[in-house]
Amino acid sequence: MTDAKLIAIGKAVAPHGVRGDVRVIPLTDFPDRFRKTKKVQLEDGRTLDIEGVKYHNQYVHIKFRGIDDRDAAQALKGKLLKVDRADLVKLPEGHYYIFDIVGLKVFDEAGANLGTVADVLPTGANDVYITEREGQKPLLIPAIKDVVKEIDVPGGKMTVRLQEEWD
Amino acid sequence: MSRSIKKGPYVHESLLKKIKAMNAKNEKKVVKTWSRASTILPNFVGHTIAVHDGRKHVPVYITEDMVGHKLGEFAPTRSFRGHGGSEKATSLK
Repeated sequence: MTDAKLIAIGKAVAPHGVRGDVRVIPLTDFPDRFRKTKKVQLEDGRTLDIEGVKYHNQYVHIKFRGIDDRDAAQALKGKLLKVDRADLVKLPEGHYYIFDIVGLKVFDEAGANLGTVADVLPTGANDVYITEREGQKPLLIPAIKDVVKEIDVPGGKMTVRLQEEWD
Repeated sequence: MSRSIKKGPYVHESLLKKIKAMNAKNEKKVVKTWSRASTILPNFVGHTIAVHDGRKHVPVYITEDMVGHKLGEFAPTRSFRGHGGSEKATSLK
């Protein structure tokens, strides 16, 4: 669970053209959100208003108000574009943001503490919650309903029923 | 050249034996395997197989639409650490 107020939705990687467009890699599962987003914040606290958005392959080309030439666009290279946590896309039931899952304490059904989720690994099939344990190898928990019984983000905990391993 | 139809899809022998044994007893246990080249067969569906990614065994829950693919396709060998705190979501399958 992160306490960060600002969440990254994209990263400026290069200028595009000579009129100040910026090429952005979306860091979001919802690239369409750029059409609806009016402003983004940079890490240095600056706020930029979005004037126009075009999609090109895996990139989004964004025109910001006040960024009118290639040099100004070049200066944004490497910057993360962030939005307020309250402006995130609302997720359907049973879906969670990864930054909310990371940091949850993991318990089994008997209440024993198994560790803390350190990362989420997407595999192409189910996601895997990598749970760090003190003095032991990380525990890999598949994100499937048979195993993860409850996720309580406000309570900061997750309850799991681990499957038996083949001996 | 593709694999001969006569031979059928490749599956590591011991993995297939374990899955068949579990299906016969109607039980579900996590099977560890290093065999990333094994093809997913229809009788694997519903089982969780821990596929080695070169460092650790990644638990992969087998669903119907994974049949015909190789196990290794679902255990990536390179992991991009990413940008912390981005708008990416996860859900339970």
